Amino acid sequence: MSEIRNFTLNFGPQHPAAHGALRLILELNGETVERADPHIGLLHRATEKLAETKPFNHSIGYMDRLDYMSMMCNEHAYVRAIEHLLDIEAPERAQYIRTMYDEITRILNHLMWVASNALDLGAMTVFLWAFREREGLLDAYEAVSGARMHPTYYRPGGVYRDLPEQMPKLAESRWRKGQDLERMNRWRNGSLLDYLEAFTGDFFDRVDDYETMLTDNRIWKQRTVGIGEVSPERALQMGFTGPMLRGSGVAWDLRKKQPYAKYADVDFDIPVGSNGDCYDRYLVRIEECRQSARIIQQCIAWLRANPGPVMLKNFKVSPPTRTEMKDDMEALIHHFKLFTEGYCVPEGEAYAAIEAPKGEFGCYLISDGANKPFRVHLRGPAFVHLSAMDEMARGHMLSDIPALIATQDIVLGEVDR
Amino acid sequence: MGISTLLHNPEPEGIVDDILRPGNDNPLIERGFATTSVDALINWARTGSMWPVTFGLACCAIEMMHSAASRYDIDRFGMVFRPSPRQSDVMIVAGTLVNKMAPALRRVYDQMADPKWVISMGSCANGGGYYHYSYSVTRGCDRIVPVDVYVPGCPPTAEALVYGILQLQKKIRRTNTIARA
Amino acid sequence: MSAFSPRNETLAQQLREVFGDKIAELIEHRRQLTAVVPAEHWLDVAWQLRDDPRFAFQQLIDLCGVDYLGYGDDEWETAEASGSGFSRGVDAAGPGRFSWDERPEAEDFPNRFAAVVQLLSQAHNRRLRLRCYAPADDLPVVPSLIEVWSSANWFEREAFDLFGIIFEGHPDLRRILTDYGFIGHPFRKDFPLVGNVAVRYDEEKERVVYEPVEIEPRVGVPRVVRRDSRYVDMPRGESEDQPA
Repeated sequence: MSEIRNFTLNFGPQHPAAHGALRLILELNGETVERADPHIGLLHRATEKLAETKPFNHSIGYMDRLDYMSMMCNEHAYVRAIEHLLDIEAPERAQYIRTMYDEITRILNHLMWVASNALDLGAMTVFLWAFREREGLLDAYEAVSGARMHPTYYRPGGVYRDLPEQMPKLAESRWRKGQDLERMNRWRNGSLLDYLEAFTGDFFDRVDDYETMLTDNRIWKQRTVGIGEVSPERALQMGFTGPMLRGSGVAWDLRKKQPYAKYADVDFDIPVGSNGDCYDRYLVRIEECRQSARIIQQCIAWLRANPGPVMLKNFKVSPPTRTEMKDDMEALIHHFKLFTEGYCVPEGEAYAAIEAPKGEFGCYLISDGANKPFRVHLRGPAFVHLSAMDEMARGHMLSDIPALIATQDIVLGEVDR
Repeated sequence: MGISTLLHNPEPEGIVDDILRPGNDNPLIERGFATTSVDALINWARTGSMWPVTFGLACCAIEMMHSAASRYDIDRFGMVFRPSPRQSDVMIVAGTLVNKMAPALRRVYDQMADPKWVISMGSCANGGGYYHYSYSVTRGCDRIVPVDVYVPGCPPTAEALVYGILQLQKKIRRTNTIARA
Repeated sequence: MSAFSPRNETLAQQLREVFGDKIAELIEHRRQLTAVVPAEHWLDVAWQLRDDPRFAFQQLIDLCGVDYLGYGDDEWETAEASGSGFSRGVDAAGPGRFSWDERPEAEDFPNRFAAVVQLLSQAHNRRLRLRCYAPADDLPVVPSLIEVWSSANWFEREAFDLFGIIFEGHPDLRRILTDYGFIGHPFRKDFPLVGNVAVRYDEEKERVVYEPVEIEPRVGVPRVVRRDSRYVDMPRGESEDQPA
């Protein structure tokens, strides 16, 4: 009689559905997953230790590269932790800009999520559509910071600079000219705010487009409904946050419950799922896209009406302008100190959390009074979600694993740090 | 204007390279036949269908996806991302390579069929970049695999990657498989 | 007298009432509350914080290890440096400046390792930070919270991997982030930033080999401790011309 035993399958680390460098050891009984053991650390870059050897401001860039789909949100948590220890508050306009860019980031992340998730489950069109909108939003990143992906735009005490008055236009070339060029530039004739207004006005229709492709799609439903169900109790127990928790029916959103930046002053709703399966989490994220567009519109209206400073006027943490440096010796000294040594943060510890697109992104900062952090710990939501992979995957088929990886919305940069 | 100049082709050396030109420019094709050297033919075939294996490791992978998606669309250059190394000619190492991942990278590279090329995308893959001094990061993927084209940037924009791909095409055109130098 | 801000007063009072001596210290800094719990009461306190409806901390948001070696050390004399002139070279061996061979011997340092936990109560909408110093420093051991909150699982594995803190009672305490076969606990302050090994592909052996790391450690900006951030929240103008 032949011996019957389980089959162990190695999934990844180079796998198109693994969303980066994730390795899963799956124990299979036939095609049913008996146990899933994620091996992470294949993108472990020691961000936290590197941050300990650099002045505070030098590490803002590391935050972008953690969860590289929601760059500015990570910066926001880190910057907020520093501001908390320094006990400073950014000017109101900067807070509104941060709110707006957090929501742009949320849309970017959710578009990436829906695109790659649909691609994993076999729908190519949504990928192309969602990336079209992503390009539009990356242009907004580029306009404000000069970088498409890693802006390093938020600084302790505000944001690096004010929104540009003129949205950069696409240049004429041999391939792009005449009416085509005019059509591509039709939103770009005014300021960045005009561009974003046009974008968000159009965006609701685009979300409807994605929904037409997916929401009632039979294949999509077969692959997501009833897959990876998590009860609200287990979701809390396993430390879920963000859409993973809301998909299970717990209406918990830091933007509402512990508002930061300007979320207390804008109007939006929190979508909540009921079954806690992949399909509900999909619906939650899609609705969040619409709510984010609503928040952006409100921020645009406020930012139009209220010009003002975007950086704290305190040369201990924020650099003086060039003009000030030219006629003020103090300013010149401050500039020199800031850029050679950085600023010293008073002794203490702080934990700052924000509602990143994937869940609660937290930054725990210990300072011993030096110009470098003594310890930085970054709490990535995906790290916690991935740790629940074993429990979520048990009893599912092998072909559900890509759906589960996708629904957790993991980014290995943030899992491994 | 022939397509060869658009693709930064080296100038055709006489009539044998004219397979790279559209039919209208080419009197020989109008008459129903074309002549070329085998090397030019091989290089034309290789550069026209470079299928990269997706080796997305970190942030650069997002820009790599952007280069394949709506605005940049590298399908125009005959590039189609393949999930399997067995079907690929080019490996784009996009992102930070860490020590734990290095053996896997080499294995994927070894599994690719010859001839194969490697594009190192982004400063982390080029030499460690922002993470150079970290204990866990491999300081350049050229310590593990031979690299043909380095694309700088953190991350390089999708346009930069497309430019790097065109550079690689140029490099491939310079090689001779049959003829000896 | 109440040393706590109104936001934390009730919670602090409740903690004092319920736990008494089980909480060694209750600190508030910048409106955030930290309770220092000795290792022997760590589990008791955790269970009660989760199950007592007055606290109802249903979620463990974060757990991390901390190595307090070298806390408050600076590399540059700032107090009377202006009298003797700034030296350009920094000869201190702060974090990131030493290689594997010249790593400092960690001297006896009480309460070197700690596990820090961030708790969140959805019911009361408040947060609490717990800290537990590991009693013995050569082999730091802290009880595991995995029974209380499942989310502690990977966080404890991470703290074990990076700091070598042993979580007693954890069923699966394997390394998680570092390389297979990694030696040492890299986030300890006496572990060099550049590490001890680097990988390279060996043409002869036809595999990836590990070799001693060859780059020089380098840190761009010296670590400086200054007490001048007390001026930060003053409006501009007042902060200038302060006597030392």
